[in-house]
Amino acid sequence: MAGAYITGMGLACALGNDVASSLSALRQQKIPARPLQLDELSEPLAVSFYRIEDGGELFDASRFERVLAPVVRQAVVETGLSAAEIRALPVFVGSSCFSVGLSESTYADALRRQPDNAVPMPVCNYQRIACDVQRTLDCAGDTYAYNTACTSSANALLQAVRMLELGWYPHALVVGAELANRTTLTGFAGLQLIARTMRPFDAQRSGLVLGEGIGAVLLSRQAISSHNLRIAGGANNCDTYSVTTANPDGDSVASVLNQALHHTRLQPQQIRGIKAHGTATPMGDTAEALGLLHVLSELPPVTALKPYLGHTLGACGVIELVLYAAALRAGFQPAAAGFESPDPALGLQPLTTEAEARPGYYLLNQFGFGGSNTVLVLEKTTA
Amino acid sequence: MIGVISTGRYLHTLRDDAALPRLEQQLASVCREPFRRIDRFVQLALLGSGLCARDHTLAPDCAVYLGSGLGPLSENISVQEQLMRDRQLPKPFNFINTLGSSAGFYVARNLGLHGQNFFISRREASFEATLMAAFADFAAGAAQQALVGAVEEVTLPLAQHRQRLDLRDDAVVAEGSLWLLLEAHANAPKGRLELQRYAEFTELQNGLHSTWRIGDRLQCALGMSDKYASRLRQNLADAGPPGFNTEYHNSLEAVWLTDFVTHTSNSNLFVASGDEQRGWTLFHCRT
Repeated sequence: MAGAYITGMGLACALGNDVASSLSALRQQKIPARPLQLDELSEPLAVSFYRIEDGGELFDASRFERVLAPVVRQAVVETGLSAAEIRALPVFVGSSCFSVGLSESTYADALRRQPDNAVPMPVCNYQRIACDVQRTLDCAGDTYAYNTACTSSANALLQAVRMLELGWYPHALVVGAELANRTTLTGFAGLQLIARTMRPFDAQRSGLVLGEGIGAVLLSRQAISSHNLRIAGGANNCDTYSVTTANPDGDSVASVLNQALHHTRLQPQQIRGIKAHGTATPMGDTAEALGLLHVLSELPPVTALKPYLGHTLGACGVIELVLYAAALRAGFQPAAAGFESPDPALGLQPLTTEAEARPGYYLLNQFGFGGSNTVLVLEKTTA
Repeated sequence: MIGVISTGRYLHTLRDDAALPRLEQQLASVCREPFRRIDRFVQLALLGSGLCARDHTLAPDCAVYLGSGLGPLSENISVQEQLMRDRQLPKPFNFINTLGSSAGFYVARNLGLHGQNFFISRREASFEATLMAAFADFAAGAAQQALVGAVEEVTLPLAQHRQRLDLRDDAVVAEGSLWLLLEAHANAPKGRLELQRYAEFTELQNGLHSTWRIGDRLQCALGMSDKYASRLRQNLADAGPPGFNTEYHNSLEAVWLTDFVTHTSNSNLFVASGDEQRGWTLFHCRT
């Protein structure tokens, strides 16, 4: 059977520092956003933010590796791979930030000590997260780093599945990683996309709240008996309407949805549920809703996870897959927190209470700056 | 087997802090619209891809794979200086251009493409990773035609650039935008490209020996140890020394492959890489 099986998962996010605690908090509909103030700017910036509660300083340069290590161990430990299999494990990473936080800290230190000799962007290394993973697990296989904005880790998943199908690797570790950094927080503030609360598909939606998290998924060509989730495939396309905004008519979203269904040989009526991208931006949600309605005339249950996690940008493909997959495995499709007022222009209302998750196919949407659209198809099997 | 339809090459070598060449005039010849608020990384991507696509009809679903070791470095520097030195919010388009996907967006927009669009990095083997991704998508039927490129930007002052890359003080560096237009068939005007994956080094040796002909060229990519590179060269008639330019460029495999396709005919180039853990990869380009 084509596709790849999910044989291990790890997670650290605002909901919790592992999959089980995050799922429990999701079920309780916890919304862990907290106020965050950046005082270093000439005009202090106050935002809401979903942070990982790890007890560390938010911008500490050593934080990335400290949070990353237990997550990737969670993903690998439950599968029982041999040392040789782990050694050869390829690592696919999707992120928007990569080493920028470390670069900021290093540059800030240099500016304090020797401002005239400080070199901006002292660290520019897309490879760094993969190297941290390899050091943690003692693996040394191929690495791939994807930087396609908010679809980064979804694209890492998509292409890892294809390389597994080709037989290049028996297993692959896919990591989505996004930790707080000043560049992202201030960059989104400058774009005026930031809101205090996230209400995807709500008439009162006004923007997104940023979050951080690291997720890891171990994919395998062969099923392991106790696991019942398979990434069947998916699709990616490029919407050239605007570098920052999806075409609000929904055409490019519909197109990538159709491609994903075509690739997996599915009919729209076979879809049992949808994890929307749901950024709660006025135009983003409009494009997604209209695109979904173009393709699926009768929508299955739709949910959005960002009210629980914040927008974890390049990591959201893996992080939301982990949380959604854990919920499906537990037998439910989660409600989208914060939804109150239907938007008549959308024709879409997300779940406000849990729905049953029966075996079948589920879609996971991710859309990003640069016109990057990615849809993954997840199967909950009966095994 | 994948057909090579065309190449697009821009490569500029820097030894000192002379100004970088302006690209506007060359861009005007390959861009369908004048793009504003783009940075040098986007300019480089537009130029190389535009040269590659010139004189060819691209399918709207042609995929774009952009590889880079460093990504949009000058824009990241601008944003970091605005933020950390000037204590200001980054300017929106500076911030957007720090994303790897922005360059691919402009390439797609310029060429009227709506297919898959990926930015992939593997430090000094980004072009190899990008080609592997493209081959996987060809095999999956997710792409029938693809622009595969490597874009590397050099920033001034060169002393800072070399410091970031941990290069010698006198290292000669090159910025470049090097592209191949590929299609999922073997009958292509510029040649064909094969990718073989091997678990064991001996399999790589056997695969290389079974197709080797006198006069063929072998390049061992950065990352392959000298021990294995020299073993590959043993018993290969006329393998010769590496013959391509050697100034520092993060995507040397792209320099080799596009140079070879552009300047040879009826010739073979093998590009080998790997180690015991990663396995072994062999690209065979036949012009």
